[in-house]
This record gives sequence, C-alpha cells and structure tokens, in this order.
Amino acid sequence: MSVQDTQQDKYVTFKSGNEYFGLKIQYVNEIIVFQEITQIPESEDYIKGLINLRGKIIPVIDVRIRFRQEPIEYNDRTCIIVINVKDTVVGLIVEKIAEVVEIKNENILSTPTVGNDEKCQNKYVYGVGKVGDGVKLLLDPELLLKDDDLAMLELASKDTMEEGE
Amino acid sequence: MAEDFSIQGMLDMYLFENGQLLERLQEIVLEQKDEECFDEDSINEIFRTMHTIKGSSGVMMFDEITKISHKLEDVFFYLRESKPDNVPHLELVEHVLEVADFITAEMEKIQNGESADGDATEKVAAIDKFLNAIKNGEGEKTKDIKENVHEEPQQFYIAPMATSASRFYKIYLTFHPDVMLANVHAYKIVYSLKEIAEDLLHYPEDIISDEGSADEILENGFKILLQAQCSEEELKGLIKEGYELKKVDIYECTAKEFQQGFDSFGTEIRIDLESSVEEIQAKAEGIQPGEMYIAPASQPAAQEKQKIAPGDFVIESKEPGKGKKLAKDKPKKQEKAAFISVDVHKMDMLMDLIGELVIAESVVLQNPDLKIPGLRLDNFNKAAGQMTKISTDLQNVIMSMRMVPLTNTFQKMNRIVFDVSRKLGKDIEFEMVGEHTEVDKNIIEHISDPLMHLVRNAVDHGIETIEEREKAGKTEKGKVTLSAKTESGKVWISVKDNGRGLNREKIIAKARKQGLLDYMKPDSEYADKEVYQFITLPGFSTNEKVTEYSGRGVGMDVVVSNLQSIGGSLEIESTPGQGSVMNLKIPLTLAIIDGIVMEVGKSSFVIETGMVKEFVGMRENRLIKNPSGEEFVMIRGEGYPVLRIGERYQIDGYQADAEDGMLVLVEVEDQTICLLVDRLIGKQEIVVKPIPDYIKKVKGLSGCTQLGDGSIALILDAVGLIE
Repeated sequence: MSVQDTQQDKYVTFKSGNEYFGLKIQYVNEIIVFQEITQIPESEDYIKGLINLRGKIIPVIDVRIRFRQEPIEYNDRTCIIVINVKDTVVGLIVEKIAEVVEIKNENILSTPTVGNDEKCQNKYVYGVGKVGDGVKLLLDPELLLKDDDLAMLELASKDTMEEGE
Repeated sequence: MAEDFSIQGMLDMYLFENGQLLERLQEIVLEQKDEECFDEDSINEIFRTMHTIKGSSGVMMFDEITKISHKLEDVFFYLRESKPDNVPHLELVEHVLEVADFITAEMEKIQNGESADGDATEKVAAIDKFLNAIKNGEGEKTKDIKENVHEEPQQFYIAPMATSASRFYKIYLTFHPDVMLANVHAYKIVYSLKEIAEDLLHYPEDIISDEGSADEILENGFKILLQAQCSEEELKGLIKEGYELKKVDIYECTAKEFQQGFDSFGTEIRIDLESSVEEIQAKAEGIQPGEMYIAPASQPAAQEKQKIAPGDFVIESKEPGKGKKLAKDKPKKQEKAAFISVDVHKMDMLMDLIGELVIAESVVLQNPDLKIPGLRLDNFNKAAGQMTKISTDLQNVIMSMRMVPLTNTFQKMNRIVFDVSRKLGKDIEFEMVGEHTEVDKNIIEHISDPLMHLVRNAVDHGIETIEEREKAGKTEKGKVTLSAKTESGKVWISVKDNGRGLNREKIIAKARKQGLLDYMKPDSEYADKEVYQFITLPGFSTNEKVTEYSGRGVGMDVVVSNLQSIGGSLEIESTPGQGSVMNLKIPLTLAIIDGIVMEVGKSSFVIETGMVKEFVGMRENRLIKNPSGEEFVMIRGEGYPVLRIGERYQIDGYQADAEDGMLVLVEVEDQTICLLVDRLIGKQEIVVKPIPDYIKKVKGLSGCTQLGDGSIALILDAVGLIE
C-alpha cells in the first residue's frame, strides 16, 4: 500500500470557535506546540508573524482571525499546524487539535449556501464531512492562504521562479 | 534509463565545455579587435577552438553547428597556413562573433530541450565569400595549401610525414572509473591531438562504433602512439584540459619503438618495473578496473597514488612534469589553476549549512545554562574559542569560494560596446580597470543587467557621433571606462564616458513637465545630484528618438531597482561636455553580515554594522518636536531627524518615553538619521534569510535572521526606512 493510499480520505481536524474543521492530511507537514512568534509590522492582522522551525523561518497565521472570529488568548492547548501548500510552508494557529478522522467521499456534501450568513467563512470551506453524528467543515488550504492575497501569492511564486532561473 | 542518463551527462558536458570555449573565444577576439590583425597565438587558439567545437558537435550530431564551425575553422586554417596580409580585420571579427552568437543561441536551444534548428547556411555562405575574398586578395601567391578537408570522424590515421624535428611519444591515459562514455572522451582527445599529429595510432582502435571499447579503456587505459613536432609540455597542455582524466603519462620514445607499435608498451613496463616488487605484482594481477595505471617511472608519488582505492574520488591537480630532460625550452604561457566545477545548488546548500552552524554555535556559546553562577568554565571557554576560530575560517573559505572575479561580466560589456558602437557608427574605445575584483556570485548575477544598461546608455547617449565630437572640438576618441574596486566592505563599480554629459536643463524641463518639481522652487536651487537622480525615475527619458538600444525611458529605473534589491545604490556625476560617471555601490556579499542587534518592545531588530555611525544615549539629549510632529535631536550642534522604530512599526510595548531609549545614528545615502530603539543588545554575525514570500514586503525590512537564543530578528534596511 503506498503512502498515497494510507493517507487517502484522512483528515486532521481541529476546533476553531464552535465548529470543527478538517484539513486533508496530505497538506499537513507536522503539528507543533505553540511557540514564540516574532511580529511582522505592517502585515495583515491574521498574519501573526514568523516562527523559527528548526532553523527554517516560516510565517504563521491565526485561523480564528482569518475566519473573522473573536481572537482568544493563546494557552497550552494552542497548536500550530504546519502545512505545505504548493511549496509555500505556513503555520496555522488553532485553538485545539481534535483528531485524525477518515471521511469517505460519499460522506462529503457540498456546502449548503442559501441562508448561510457567515459568507466569509464559507469562502474557505469546500465541503461538509459527516462523521458519526457531527460534521466537520472541510477546508481548502489553498483558498485559506490565497483568497484576497491571491495576487500576492502568485506574484511571490513568480518571483521565486525568476530567482530560480 | 541508464542510457538516458549518460546521454544527458554527455550533453551537459558538451554544453559546459563549449560554453567555456566560446567565452574564451569572445575574449580573445575582443582583446584584439582593435589591432591590425590577430596574432599567431590567437589564430591558433581560435582555430583549435573551432576545431574542438566542430568535433564535439559532430559527435553529438548537431550538424548546423558542425557546419558553421567547420567553415570558420577553414578561414583560420587559411590564415594560419598562408598568413595573408590585408585581411579586413573588423569584418573577420564580426564573422567570428556572429558564429559565436549562432552557436551560443543553438546551445541555449539545446539546453532548453528544444532541437537545435537554426539554419547556418546563410552565415556559412557569407563566411565562404569572405574566405574567397581574402584568398583572391592573395592572388597567385597562394601556394599549394593543403585544403582543410572535413575529415570523417572515423578517420584517425594521418599519413606519416616525418621530419627530423619529429618526436615520438607514448601516451597512457587512465580515466576516472566513474566516467561515462570513456570512448567519447578518448575520441575527443584523439581529435585534439590530431591537429599536431604527424602520425597517430591508438588502442583500442575502434572507439566510435564499438561500445565495448569504453569498458576496455576504463579497465586498461587508453594508449596513444604519437609522432609530432611538439614538446611534452605542449602535449600535456592539450590533453590535460578538462577531460575526465585521472592520470596522464607521456613518454618519449625512439622512432624504432614507435614502429613496433603497441607491443613496445609492454616492453617498457618490464624494463622499468624492476624498481618495485609491489608494482610487478600489481602488473601480474592485471590492472583492476578503477585502479590507477601504475606509472613505470619509479617516483614516490606513483607509489602513493597506488593506494587509492577503487571508487575513491581523486581530484588531481596538474601533475608535475615527469623528470625527463626533453622538455623544450619554450616558456610556459601561464600556470592554469586546477579547477573543479561544482553544482551551484550544492554550494548554496553548503552555505546554508554553514549559516546554520554559525547559529548553532551561538546557541551553544550563549546558552542560558552557562549563566548559572558558580560554574567553572575555563576549559569550556578555551574549547569554545577554538571552535569559534574554526567556524570563522570555515565561513571565510566558503565565502571566498563564492567569490568570482568580475572579469567575465566586464568582458560581456566589452562585447556590447563593440556591437553598439559599430551599429551606431561611433568609434569607441573600451577600457577596463580592476576587472579582477572579486564579488559574491549572487551579486554578479544581479549587477550584470544594470551594468549592461549603463554601458549601453554611455555608448548610445553619452558619447557623441564623430561629427558632433569634431564640432565640439574634442580630439580624443570616444571612450568608455569600466572600473571596479573594493573599498570599506563595498564594491564600487563605475561606468565612465567622455561624451557630452547629462543635460541639466533638459532634465529639469522634462521634470517640470512631468510635475516632479516643486513649483515654488526655482531651478537653480536643485543640486546637480538631485537633478541627475530624476533620470532614474520610471518613464523618464530625454532622448527624443527611440533607438534600438535605448531611449524608451525604461532602463535607468530598472537599474536602480535591481541595485536596491541587493542593497546597492547608484550615484550620478556629470560634467557638461566632458562626460558622465555612473557610480554603483554594492555590498560584497549578501549572505552573512556583521550586525548590531537591538530591541524594541519585545521585538529584536538588526542593522548592518557598516551603516551605523555612532550610538548616543538619550539622557543628555532632548528630542525637539517641530509643529508638524517631526522630531529631531541636536548632537554636537547638528540636528538629525529622529525615527522611532517602535512607533513606525506599531510594536507592542515599546518605550514611549524616549528618555530611556538609545539613539542609533545611521548613515543612509547622503544623510544621517537617528533611529530610536529601546535597548542595544550587542554585535553579532548574522545569517541573512529572506522574509518568507507569503508575507508582503514591508518597507524598511530587508530580511530576517535567527539569533543566538533561537528567536527571530528583523533586519532593518535604512534606505527603505527613509523612503
């Protein structure tokens, strides 16, 4: 069985606000405990700054602020999920890590849109996964990073490409 | 699969070697473009270069390249053999450069995985015409010069035409065991020997179509019998360069031995082997693949080399000449340093690792555990000192490995001056000063484009046409000088021309038109420097007509932004009627800098030590606030503007009370500003890392770094701060 197969349909879930969110496990590099963050001035509010991950310097974003939820104090349950999306490595600060679950494709529904008042949240969610009685909102990490910063990210990747040449 | 690899390897080799040959070719040509004609050495070298390119391109089946290089080879063959007078030199130079361009373009295509589909027919025809022209110019004087026939690759045997001056050699070549396609390399050597050879035999004989020959060569070495009129040194020069050779043994022999062919190889070994029992044994067991050929000459060095195990990677520099007295008294031209080429990524990796090491070192040495009172650290400190010394040395070495002289970059400019001035019908001399100045490879990549723009500008706008110069009463030739020097940790490169200089009035008029000037301020109040700086703005060109080379108003702004991206700057000086000077100031290296670490609130910042003029405590000074809210401070009777870092970047918990802060006087461009920070931490070598792309570029921050305790500090870029 290849790595791909074992990771198929597995999701890392975490809690943010009242909901549980799921991220495809392929995107997740590792989960680390919260650590000291260096602020970056003049950046968006949800970008909390930089952390030093064993010599690699990576940016971290606060998922709660990203979802326009009230920010909360960080405590010892706060974790950083390090994800790698198309070679952009970013840390996501989340309130609490839940578990790794398996959600089969047939249990994933597209997000119901009518009557959803939290539009901004909806932007990053591509589906709803049913697990037992509960649901997990499945996140598209690319949109989570991109969205309004779309142009910027593309610009950045273009820059790195140019440097590579 | 394996075959794919080997072809790729060969292709890389082909591109790399020919790339270097072409570069060298251009260098020679440009060096002598102003002479009457090429000197003999250059003709020979160009001939050889074309010959090698032709040979290898033939093997790789790039027909067009083969064709064109063959044609040029013909020309130089003719020049070499019949030494015609009155060759139109410039025309020849142009032909050579055109061929070089063509081949470079084709090679680029090959590199990008496209097929080399350029058509050389036209150029070949042009060169043909040129060749005929010089031949006819020679008239009947042309003796029966042997036509330089394009020989089929299979033909190795060149008819003997021995003269008394001929010498006979036996050459043993041992390849590195991991060399792929040794037969092709062997073929290349044979090919390069062919030009000097009067007679040449080699074993194994069939190295082209017999694929097994590669193994045979690796196992038993490659043997060549050569009759030629050259010294052993010359042979070494020919064979040594760049082929994957582990060992080259050249012995002179008599004509009789030569006649005996390859049988004599064995005999000689038997005679010489008396010296060492070990060697005889080794001989008896047969030479194992990968082992070096055991040199019959019983030198201690040979013994030592024997110990090298198969598979060991041997980097061998030039072998000292074998102690035979036959070396002709021809002075060696120049000692070439031994080089190995290394993948740039590996260099970068090494650089990164050393960066990590430097950080790890400071993590250890500044570990809070060491600060426990009552610890005896004498031995620790001693050991730490030793380690620091080694890591500093290591850093210096890796830095010097990345240092590359500017020569190549400057050479390229030479070419540009030549091309552009010819096209524009200007007569321009090009001078280089200090081209051996060494700069970090990364930086060279960044300054090549800006320099090109500046040089083009100098040739196109700076220097007047011949008529204009005459009118202005200028007698001397138009001249562009490119110079480089290192000073106070920076590299200064200047592009100087003796042309018309910048037109202040024109620039001011244009700036007024574009609304860049203050309406209230009269023209005369703008300093020359300020005025000249306008030409670096995007879309600012005073040139009325757009030429092929410049005048579109893009260029100078690109120059400046490129320079700024590596922390450099541009200064413009100009004297009307006498020319202008563009001064580029760039840092020596980007990777590791000496920095001052300081704190604001809980954030750490670093500023390059070279930029800091002094530190001033706040207690004895008072900030003065003018009504518009700007603050300044008086130090020794001079006023300096103050920038509160905490306020500027909205940092949590910075000291609002300036009394407790520290002023850092920073010199930026022409002015001095004061940065107000909370505390100074210390001086440290820091490894510059880019801020991740994901975060938008913040003005005034040029990167980040990891401090001794593992936390991250932001690197301040003073130029960005004042913008």
